[in-house]
Amino acid sequence: MEYNEKTREIKTDKELNNLDKFALEFLNIIKKYVDYVIISGYVSILLGRTRISEDIDIYIKKISLGEFKEMYKELLQNNFWCINAEKPEDIYEYLKDNLAVRFSKIDSPIPNFEVKFPKDKLDEQVFEDPIKVILTKGEIIISSLERHIAFKRYFLSSNKDIEDAEHIESLFKEFINYNKVSELKRLIKKRNVKK
Amino acid sequence: MKKDKEKKFMKPGKTNKEDRLNFVKFWAEYMKTHLDTEWSNQQNILINSLIKFKK
Repeated sequence: MEYNEKTREIKTDKELNNLDKFALEFLNIIKKYVDYVIISGYVSILLGRTRISEDIDIYIKKISLGEFKEMYKELLQNNFWCINAEKPEDIYEYLKDNLAVRFSKIDSPIPNFEVKFPKDKLDEQVFEDPIKVILTKGEIIISSLERHIAFKRYFLSSNKDIEDAEHIESLFKEFINYNKVSELKRLIKKRNVKK
Repeated sequence: MKKDKEKKFMKPGKTNKEDRLNFVKFWAEYMKTHLDTEWSNQQNILINSLIKFKK
């Protein structure tokens, strides 16, 4: 696995597992309609962490109802469904209310994608510095390593999350900008105080 | 990342939390010293046993 800091690309020849294949099938559809960034647990799993997750967290940029309907139509045509609602208007309303909606393959609720709109400026910043992971059969856009570490360590903070952060730090320590991690930590704490 | 296969040992943790973190570090070192196809083959045994992929 190689990280090119300049191009912000990680290239790996890893064998794809069933979670990766599920992710690529879903992402290859939605990327035609919307910018996305994968966040949280699957970032660590994609990059080798030895644990499993039943969901993949993803931010999509805010799009119109019309654009969402087009995307949803193609998801349905490819045997995905939304486990929260059937009508696109209802699903879109959840997203607009900053609620996450889940998509899985029909008759198979696990694994699923947990899709959400960014709810504030800090969430929106995930689109400013993403990394492209180049796999043998496709590409996946993930959040920056610094953002991943900061949110895992200072926002989520369970043992599992700390381990997820530790995995990325151990693998990529020479590439991580810890000033950036500290700044994100400050912004996360500031947001938590506001709540 | 380098691919030398010198055997590395993991220090046991004094608590479950420390032991798990030590294993995370051990596994990352294993990944750095083995081919992507080798480490992913092991990771996939775990993931594919729990997640089925329906095309």
